[in-house]
Amino acid sequence: MEIDALRQRLKEIVGEDYVLSSSVDLMLYGYDAYLEMSRPDVVVIPENTEQVSQIVRLACEEGIPVTARGSATSLSGGPVPLKGGIVIHFSRMNRILEIDTVNKRARVEPGVITLDLQTAVAKKGLQYAPDPASQKTSTMGGNVGENSGGPHCLKYGVTTNHTMGLKIVLYDGEVVDTGGKAPDRPGYDLTGLLVGSEGTLGIVTEITVRLIEQPEAIKTLLGIFETIEDASNTVSAIIAEGIVPATLEMMDRLVIKAVEESVHAGYPQDAEAVLIIELDGLKDGMERISDRIIKICLANKVREVKVAKDEAERNTLWTGRRGAFGAVSRLRPNYMVCDGTVPRTKLPEVLRKVTEIGREYNLPIGNVFHAGDGNLHPLILFDCRDEEETARVREAGTKILRLCVDAGGTISGEHGIGLEKLHEMSFIFSQDDIAAMWKLKNAFDPVGGFNPGKVLPPLAS
Amino acid sequence: MNIVQLKKLQYEEVAKCTRCGFCLPNCPTYAVRRNEASTPRGRNAITRAVIEGRLELSADLAEAIFTCLGCGACTKACFPAVNTKDLVFSDRSCLTEVHANPKIFEKLSEALNEYHNISEDDNEDRAEWQEYLKDVPGEFLEKDHADIVYFVGCVASFFPMAQKIPADFATIMYHAGLDFTILGGDEWCCGFPLIGAGMPEKVTELKNHNVEKLKSVGAKKAVFSCPSCLHTWKHLYDTDIELLHASQLLRDLVSQNKLDLKPLELKVTYHDPCDLGRNTGVFEEPREVIKSIPGIELVELPNNRNMSVCCGGGGNVEMVAPDLSAAIAQRKIEEILSTGANTVISSCQQCLRTIVTSARRQNIELNAMDLTQLVMKSLSQK
Repeated sequence: MEIDALRQRLKEIVGEDYVLSSSVDLMLYGYDAYLEMSRPDVVVIPENTEQVSQIVRLACEEGIPVTARGSATSLSGGPVPLKGGIVIHFSRMNRILEIDTVNKRARVEPGVITLDLQTAVAKKGLQYAPDPASQKTSTMGGNVGENSGGPHCLKYGVTTNHTMGLKIVLYDGEVVDTGGKAPDRPGYDLTGLLVGSEGTLGIVTEITVRLIEQPEAIKTLLGIFETIEDASNTVSAIIAEGIVPATLEMMDRLVIKAVEESVHAGYPQDAEAVLIIELDGLKDGMERISDRIIKICLANKVREVKVAKDEAERNTLWTGRRGAFGAVSRLRPNYMVCDGTVPRTKLPEVLRKVTEIGREYNLPIGNVFHAGDGNLHPLILFDCRDEEETARVREAGTKILRLCVDAGGTISGEHGIGLEKLHEMSFIFSQDDIAAMWKLKNAFDPVGGFNPGKVLPPLAS
Repeated sequence: MNIVQLKKLQYEEVAKCTRCGFCLPNCPTYAVRRNEASTPRGRNAITRAVIEGRLELSADLAEAIFTCLGCGACTKACFPAVNTKDLVFSDRSCLTEVHANPKIFEKLSEALNEYHNISEDDNEDRAEWQEYLKDVPGEFLEKDHADIVYFVGCVASFFPMAQKIPADFATIMYHAGLDFTILGGDEWCCGFPLIGAGMPEKVTELKNHNVEKLKSVGAKKAVFSCPSCLHTWKHLYDTDIELLHASQLLRDLVSQNKLDLKPLELKVTYHDPCDLGRNTGVFEEPREVIKSIPGIELVELPNNRNMSVCCGGGGNVEMVAPDLSAAIAQRKIEEILSTGANTVISSCQQCLRTIVTSARRQNIELNAMDLTQLVMKSLSQK
């Protein structure tokens, strides 16, 4: 089909105003927060499932790729339309369809901003637990696609643990429901399969999530350490003692400095590491647990433990953490984040080796990460306008992920594979493993139209 | 400006944008248009692509670049603090250079050149608002020498809806015993609309004229009821005269007990104008003035101070995309109504004009007044 004819058909589906195809628009829908860019042939902004179904059916008939996109905050290239085709932008499908306070469920469209859902349910005394750092701008559809985590996933789990059901548009435009409000649905767990599939198996147009009670009490501590090792040992010791805080977040000196210059979160600039330890739950017993944590910190040579006195102080501490990625770009224009995961006990060793890699490649590396989960986020700082430096960054990134795998970990905690880590998939999966995944992909997407070039590397022939 | 100059001036700034998207929820234009071209991130990406030669400087860019409100809310949400407003204004200047700018701005520029005001009226009629004055002797307003010059601005001078603002402000200053004057027909447009139009070089003539006139009066201070005039003077004019906003002067009068404020039973909210609040840093003075009036209850908007949402009247957007401007104003009105206040106070005639016009078109009952009008109302109570 000629491109103009395609655009015309799409206009008939979603209306003239919601089909974009100027050279400017195509450039603007070719990126996310990762380095690589591409270019779609056309962008559509549908307003309901029926329109999405028609778009996908048309694309299937014409053999045109389809890539879904929310706020494009992703860090591994998920919404970058590698093979062109149609980008579906979910910015208009942003309605919260239902908040069922009795059954503690919410039903939303994929374009709903994560924080908007959290704010809406909070007014009813409830909580949607996953809290990616980008929650004020990330979409629920994007969170489902990437199986997003966040600081609180230490205690509450990631997006998949809170997703009860999905409405999905299959490759030929057929619409199916994979679950709903009821728990423990029999049959194959298609919901579980779709969450984290990065738009390669189907397009999600409705999401039913689990809500939980808001905790009765929250307590946030800031542990200030002279060495990363002490902070890492503290993390291991807290978990080993059987305490599960809501969060255990670590930042190193470089990140602390960048954050302080940006938002004045109150982190001491001469410390080597800080830990944000948050407890939530019942008021009763919280003081006791907090005292135990402080003792563990002291046993691990903490310099000081600060306690957030009120909601405002708590917010300030978190504003700093959530803005850490953005803040480092005050130091250098770009960062690459290596989303590797390692067993917690390996943290000190792996962090030491990360520092060595930084030295070897002559690149500044900052660390801000979900320490409780052993989910590292080394931020390699650079300027992508320098091609030689960028090449070094890619090599160093691969080496860090190799390091994580060798330590018994894996290549992604929550940012997805996208197009960034196709090569690294071979670090953790054999050709047979990947072939098995390709069978699944082909079953869902026999025409290969959904987000081609992502997640699965091509099989060696 | 050409691409070489754009690169020199803005490449480092735009390179700081990591496309994280944290600016998206803060941009009023994205809230309405829902496409990437209406996001600060998208506008940054356009700037960068132009500099790097990946995108041609053409009229295709005009829609995205000329619909930025210049409100600066994105920069406040941005951890590396990318100054998208400045990038966009530079882009506008580049588009103007290659004649890919909206034609309406060429007309604006010609009009300013000929009339020295934005409403294409005889500039000698600048003091028309004096008809609203009741008990201030006319000659008091146009003295050759005074301590303070009140720079009225085009909108308050020529638009009937806004003319009560200078009348009330002048009355207040008169009764407070201040030695002030206006420039009358010698006041020329400050040049602010030309910056938003991408013609910053054309400000020079207006600037030189205004600075010269101010000097000739021998004033120590200039006071502005228009935040955008004040912002332009502060950032583009080189003068050592003290520059104040009306709300700051009113606050000083309040703290010196020079105003006999009487009770008003009103529940009000306050809209921070972008150019006064976020872009100049004046947040507390207007609030202090409001709170000093007995009987008034001030409730804050959900988004206030640095996070205040533009009324829709910024960046000359009204001239190129009136539908967008109106839709943004509509959202502002909804935010105002959500506070339960029956009156919205602002310190900018342009914000008020945008809000009131939109409310009227939709038959929404909303009291809106400038801070100076609120003070006048309190002073006039028996």
